[in-house]
Amino acid sequence: MEHNWELLKKEYADRIRETASAADLEKLRVELLGKKGTISAMMQEMKSILPEKRKEFGMAVNSLKQNVEALISERAATVKNEEMLRKMEADKIDITLPYKKYHYGTLHPLTVVQQEIEDIFVAMGYSVVEGPEVEYDLYNFEKANIPADHPSRDMQDTFYVDVERLLRTQTTAIQMRVLENQGTHLPIKVICPGKVFRRDDDDATHSHQFIQIEGLVVGEGITLGDLKGTLELLARSMFGAEREIRLRQSYFPFTEPSQEIDVSCHVCGGKGCPVCKGTGWIEILGSGMVHPNVLRTAGIDPDKYSGFALGVGVERVAMLKYGIDDIRNFYNNNIRFLEGYKRFE
Amino acid sequence: MRITYNWLKQYMDLSDVSPEMLAEKLTRGGLEVEGMEKMAQGTNLIIGHVLSCVPHPNSDHLHVCQVNTGEGVRQIVCGAPNVAAGQKVIVALPGCVLPGGEIKSGVVRGELSDGMICALFELGVDRKQLTEQQLAGIEVLPDDAPVGNRNVLEYLGLDDIIYDVSLTPNRADCLSVWALAKEVGAMLNKPVTLPDYHYECKEIPTDLIIRSETEKCPLFWGKVINKVVIKPSPKWLVQALHGAGIKAINNVVDISNYVMLETGQPLHFYDLAKIPGKEITVKQGLRETYTALDGIEYPIYEDDIMITNQGKAIGIAGIMGGDDSKIDEETHGIIIEAAHFNNVCIRNTSRRLDLNTEAATRFTKGLDPLGGRKAVERSVQLLLQLADADGIEETVLCGSEGYEPLALDASVSRINKLLGTQFGYEAVKSAFERLDFQPEKVDEDTIRCHIPSYRRDITCWQDLSEETVRLLGYENIRSTLPLMPTVQGGLPPYKRKKRVLQQMLNGFGLSEIISYSLVSRQKIDEGLLPIGEPVRIANAISEERRFFRSSLSSSMLETVSYNLARSNKEYGLFEISNVYEDGGREESHLCIAMSENTGISKWQKESRSNDFYTMKGLIYELLDRLGYDEKRLSVKPLSSSNEVLNPYKSAELYLGNKKIGVFGVVHPLCKKKYDLDDCVIGEISLTAIYEEKAGKIRFTPVNRYPAVTYDLAFICDESVSGQQIVQTVKKAAGRLLKDVEIFDIYRGSNIPEGKKSVAINIVYQSAEKTLAESDINPVHSEVIRQLTGKLHVNMRDS
Repeated sequence: MEHNWELLKKEYADRIRETASAADLEKLRVELLGKKGTISAMMQEMKSILPEKRKEFGMAVNSLKQNVEALISERAATVKNEEMLRKMEADKIDITLPYKKYHYGTLHPLTVVQQEIEDIFVAMGYSVVEGPEVEYDLYNFEKANIPADHPSRDMQDTFYVDVERLLRTQTTAIQMRVLENQGTHLPIKVICPGKVFRRDDDDATHSHQFIQIEGLVVGEGITLGDLKGTLELLARSMFGAEREIRLRQSYFPFTEPSQEIDVSCHVCGGKGCPVCKGTGWIEILGSGMVHPNVLRTAGIDPDKYSGFALGVGVERVAMLKYGIDDIRNFYNNNIRFLEGYKRFE
Repeated sequence: MRITYNWLKQYMDLSDVSPEMLAEKLTRGGLEVEGMEKMAQGTNLIIGHVLSCVPHPNSDHLHVCQVNTGEGVRQIVCGAPNVAAGQKVIVALPGCVLPGGEIKSGVVRGELSDGMICALFELGVDRKQLTEQQLAGIEVLPDDAPVGNRNVLEYLGLDDIIYDVSLTPNRADCLSVWALAKEVGAMLNKPVTLPDYHYECKEIPTDLIIRSETEKCPLFWGKVINKVVIKPSPKWLVQALHGAGIKAINNVVDISNYVMLETGQPLHFYDLAKIPGKEITVKQGLRETYTALDGIEYPIYEDDIMITNQGKAIGIAGIMGGDDSKIDEETHGIIIEAAHFNNVCIRNTSRRLDLNTEAATRFTKGLDPLGGRKAVERSVQLLLQLADADGIEETVLCGSEGYEPLALDASVSRINKLLGTQFGYEAVKSAFERLDFQPEKVDEDTIRCHIPSYRRDITCWQDLSEETVRLLGYENIRSTLPLMPTVQGGLPPYKRKKRVLQQMLNGFGLSEIISYSLVSRQKIDEGLLPIGEPVRIANAISEERRFFRSSLSSSMLETVSYNLARSNKEYGLFEISNVYEDGGREESHLCIAMSENTGISKWQKESRSNDFYTMKGLIYELLDRLGYDEKRLSVKPLSSSNEVLNPYKSAELYLGNKKIGVFGVVHPLCKKKYDLDDCVIGEISLTAIYEEKAGKIRFTPVNRYPAVTYDLAFICDESVSGQQIVQTVKKAAGRLLKDVEIFDIYRGSNIPEGKKSVAINIVYQSAEKTLAESDINPVHSEVIRQLTGKLHVNMRDS
């Protein structure tokens, strides 16, 4: 029997290509390659072929068979893939439906600000030191150059526990402990964060409890210029690289000279706006050169060594940074308030 | 301290300094201007003459006035009861802007009103400065007031600016206008001329007796003026007091106040006729009720310094005089008092009596040691001028000024070294000159300063460095950073651990809170993990904030309740704060609370319920991370009951034998009291934990051999605890046990009453080989044997 091999090849290839499912393909495979299939039948024909033509015929059948096998397996892969795709499509989801909630908790905004300030100073080699909130008058006042009859005791109304103990009104108390402990082992380079307490009635701008961070550096040749540079760095880290600072003479019993520090307004850039009350400047820090009496009390020779101290209110910074208008928000802990400060800035 | 621009202008040339500039200069130099307000304001004002005034036809209280303003006659409807024909008045013309708004022509109940006749308060004059008469009606000007004059504020002496200067405690000297003027002059670098207060008058001998029986009154100047004439003060004096916020009364009283403002030395004038025997004694130790000149009775205690006459109190020293001896219309002679009283005594008395008078403020903050003499002389000078004083007796001094002049040497190089500046010798000297320190050259580097008596804040050369830099300008300081040996900085270990905890808790979805440390007794009693007797505040603001908390949980429940009341129904909160006990111990505690449910997604109705086991798992994971393996932890039922936790769903947590925390589901009573959900709350002591040694990370090779897992199910008594089951399995299985976990507890049908069905999962593994059945079987049998034998469980067929 004569076969047009090329025509067969093409015919089978077309039929294989046209199969749409794995089942159809299997049916076709059985029809062509099965024991009773077309190509098997052709193999049977070999016997009736003239011996001289047998080889040629065999090669042709084999070639046809191999071709069909290859095409079927190739087609099988394609069909399988197509079926998978169809199935996937049938499982298509609505990507606009709601998501499942992943809830990462938030740090308290005061913690965020406190950590930020701590990190700025730690990067400059400062140690972070804390101290007791129930403190002795000795550290809160006496050693800070505020004896019992000092008028500046009026500046801070104090919660007393008894004659000796009080709730610290300023983190200066920690500095005094650092000076006592470290004394003449200079240099000293610390920041002291912590809660402080004042006998104030709570309102939008006053809180009987708040957080302060004070810094203290004592060594040889420390100048007011060093303080100014440090404050500039702090202000720019907290409120932006374009900030300027200005020093205003002020008074703290434990520093001399003493200054309040104003930072150019981060909202209006210094042009004047409601946040800075039209002045272009915002008061955020107190600072000064450590008073010679304070150094002397710690056994440090004020003629040889000098130091600076600075203090900042964490609530005040947070209120300015985030535009918060009522300090009580920090202590009411309304979750909706707390979660407003979860972004990294 | 209140001071006006015009007052300062008397002492120096301010022609090139605007009021705003002055405020700025004062603030930068350390005298912070907190407020700046016009004494009065109003545009388009004019002085008018009321020609006629008739009742308004349609009103029982309005008047219709014809007013000549010099520019024509206007009809104005006026409601003031005191308006009358013939008066000279202040007229606000249409278009005039007053603090209360703009004045427009209009028709008032059918009558045209073409302007307004003004009262002083309508011009923004502080009501406290006005008499009742002035507050009740329009201002009636003197008959000679110039009709048609448009500079009304200037005519009234009200075209002035009041500065409210906030003084730091060291600059109490600026409570004297004279000292303040010198300060302003120094800042502006302008010469200041203060009034010459010397007077010419022949003084007669005195028989006034002044005694001080307490060291709290080291100095007392007294002087008798036998004749004064009481009358109203001249306008300039009234205006000056007005600017300072003090109400004018009569010439003599006003002089005492004015001189106090000028010199900073409080004065008191007694009615001579009311001081029999011309004797005054200062003493302490009285205990009585005393009526001061404000007519109010004050309780006097032994510590209060009192002024007495013939044993009878006539004044609370330094705070307020008495009603009996006060100056009034009948006064014909006076005794002047200029004294020094101990500042702490005055502060205590003034606080206790809540009497914050101008005098008390000055005594409390400290006086110029030489101010008394100055004040007496100035008073006499003004009394001569304004009160026809006569019969002036010699001054009596009791005590001494005890003043030693202070000279301080300033080294320019040291000042520069402290400031980080390069100020020249002459520049520094000029600063001292401006401050009236009368600098003298000692050598090329040293300047000797003679500190004026009122600058009691200057005591050392560092103070002089501050004076230098504030006058020469902070802008001259170059910014540098400290140059010193590098030191290692960083957070202390417990703060690093705190940050790790905060991060983990955030990861669990919990948010941080910070609550008030001061709480009520009730909150103390409800604390879950009190560390001892709480610290009690002696002078608390209220009972709500009487104690420093000894445990955090009450504040947490309060916060939860606050949020639930605001419909924040899902929450996970934590706080890390210090707690204290009266003996001095301080601990850092962690408190956690979670709502009974945490939603994951609404539309798939997925949520997680938070129960005892959620909290337990959370705390165990935290502790594991901190180095405290769960093998070291155990839970026990509450050792004492409370009404905060449900005793059947709560536990005390132990690390070894040490109690470190407590946690559980809230008690139904607590839930009701605070309107809570079925939340879980826990508190642990971080300090107590950190006192114990933490485990370290150790390398263990990853096990290459497969683990074999068995499940067991059995029925046992309700009383058998999970811990007992796990311990029994651990003990029986020994070395080959890798893990044992209870994965199901079932009660209900097929299970007898009082029993429960328990399913556990046991994992065996060896680090040395793959386990064969022959290795495991004996071990597993032993497990079953011990469970059956010790806990009397009945194995269920698997």
